[in-house]
Amino acid sequence: MLRIEALTVASRERALVEHLSLDLAAGQITCLIGPSGCGKTSVIKWLAGILPAGLTATGRLTIDGGERTRPDPAISYQPQSDALFPWLTVAENAALGLEVAGVPHATAKARIAPLLSAFGLAGNERLFPDQLSGGMRQRVAFLRTIVQESSFILLDEPFSALDAVTRMRMQAWLVARLQEVRRGVLMVTHDLREATEIADRVLVMAASPGRIVADIKIDTPREARGEAALADLRETLKSMLLEDFS
Amino acid sequence: MQPLRRILPAILIALAILAVWELYCAWADVSPLILPAPSDVARALGTERAVISEHAASTLSVAALGFSTSVAFAFLISVALHFLPPLERGLMPLFVVSQTVPLIALAPLMILWFGFGLLPKMLLVILVTFFPMLVSLLSGYARASRDHLDLLASMGAGKATLFRRVRLPSARAAFFAGLRISATYAIVATIFAEYAGARRGIGIFILSAKNNFRADLVLAAVVVSATLTLLLLGAVRLVERFSDRRRGHHAAH
Repeated sequence: MLRIEALTVASRERALVEHLSLDLAAGQITCLIGPSGCGKTSVIKWLAGILPAGLTATGRLTIDGGERTRPDPAISYQPQSDALFPWLTVAENAALGLEVAGVPHATAKARIAPLLSAFGLAGNERLFPDQLSGGMRQRVAFLRTIVQESSFILLDEPFSALDAVTRMRMQAWLVARLQEVRRGVLMVTHDLREATEIADRVLVMAASPGRIVADIKIDTPREARGEAALADLRETLKSMLLEDFS
Repeated sequence: MQPLRRILPAILIALAILAVWELYCAWADVSPLILPAPSDVARALGTERAVISEHAASTLSVAALGFSTSVAFAFLISVALHFLPPLERGLMPLFVVSQTVPLIALAPLMILWFGFGLLPKMLLVILVTFFPMLVSLLSGYARASRDHLDLLASMGAGKATLFRRVRLPSARAAFFAGLRISATYAIVATIFAEYAGARRGIGIFILSAKNNFRADLVLAAVVVSATLTLLLLGAVRLVERFSDRRRGHHAAH
C-alpha cells in the first residue's frame, strides 16, 4: 500500500495541490481525472521525485508503512510522451531503467528478452524509435516501465498521443499486461471512457487548489462492465468535472 | 545521382563567374599584374604546384593540430562549466572578451612571445576555434529534452548520469555544427598566423607572392586555402557519418 498524506504543492504565487491524501493498493488500477490545471501532474511528478524547480512541496509518502524519499525505486514513472531516446535502440530504451538502477547491461538484456514478444516487439529490438509506429513506441515505453519491477507505476496520460483505434487496442492490451504483473497503478487521464473501462477506482480532482473531491470504486470486473452502467458512471463523472467546486 | 544534382547549381554559377572573369580579362585588356585571368591562376597553380603543396601541407597540419587540440580543450572546459555553474559565470565573460581581440594585434605578439614555431600558430587557431566549439557544446547540453531528463531523474539518476546518458548524446548535432564552423575558421586563422611570421605555410607564400607583385600566385593561394577548408570540412563530415551508430539504418530525419 502506497500512501500520500497531506500533500501540498505550491508555486511562489499559489497552491497547486492542497492537503491531498490518497492510498494506492497493489494490483489496482487507479485513474486520476480532473480539469486541466487541477494539479494531477504535480501529484504524479511529486511521487516520481521530479517536481519542477520553483515548486515547493510538503507531505509524507509511505509504502507499506515505511516512510520513503523520492525518487524511490519502488515507484516507476512514465511521462506523457513516450520519452524514448532517439539514439538508443528498442532494446536499449527498454533497458534504460534497469541500467540506471545499476543492473549490468547483459543482465538487463536477459530480463527484457522474454518480454519482447508479449509486448509485440520481438524481432524489432534493434530498430530505432523513429522507425516504429506510435503504438509500438508506446509499448517500448511500457516495457521500459514494467521491467523496472517497481511495486507502483505512475502513468501520465499514456495514450494521449495515439490515434483512436490504436488507443482502444492498447488500453485492453495494457490492462492485460498490468494484471499479469500485479502492480499498483496510478494513471492520469482525460478520457472518461478510458477511466471507466480500465480503472478499479477513479479519483476526481478539482482545481484551485487541487484536491480530491470524489473517490469512486468500480467493483464490477472489467469484462463484466456493461455499456449502460459505464455510460451512467461517465455521466456522473462528467457532472463532477463540470461542477464548480471553488 | 541526388548529391550531384544538389551541387550542380553551385558548380554552374561558379563556372559562369569564371567565364565572365576570363572574358573580361581577355577583352578589357587588363594587365595580369592587376587582375590575372582564371587561366593565369590555373597556370600559376600548375607551375608552382611543388612549392605550393609543400606550403599547403604545412598549413593543413598546423590547422588540423590546432583545431583538434581546440576541440579537445573545448570539450573538457564545457564539461567543467556544465558541472560548475559558478565557473561558467566566471569564465564566460573572459571567453567572450577573448573573441573581441583583433587577430591583427595578437598575431605579431604571439610571434614575438613564442617565436616562429608551431606554438604561436596553434594558439591562434585555438583562440579562434575554441569559442564557437564551447558555445555549441553548452547549447547542445541545454537542448536536452525535459522529458528525457525527468524520466532518468525519476529512475534515480544523478547529475553525472543525466549528463552522460541524456545531455551528451543530445549535444551531438550541436557539436558537429560547431565543428563545421570551427573547421572553416581554422584554416583562415592558420594562414593569418603564418602571414604574421612563419617559415612555411600558405600565409607566408601569400606574403612573398604579394611582395613580388604576383597577383596570380596570391589568387592561386586563395584557391588552395579554399580547398584546404573543404578538405577539413569533408573530414568533419566523415567523422560525423562514421560516428553515427544509426549508419546503415534508414534515418527518418
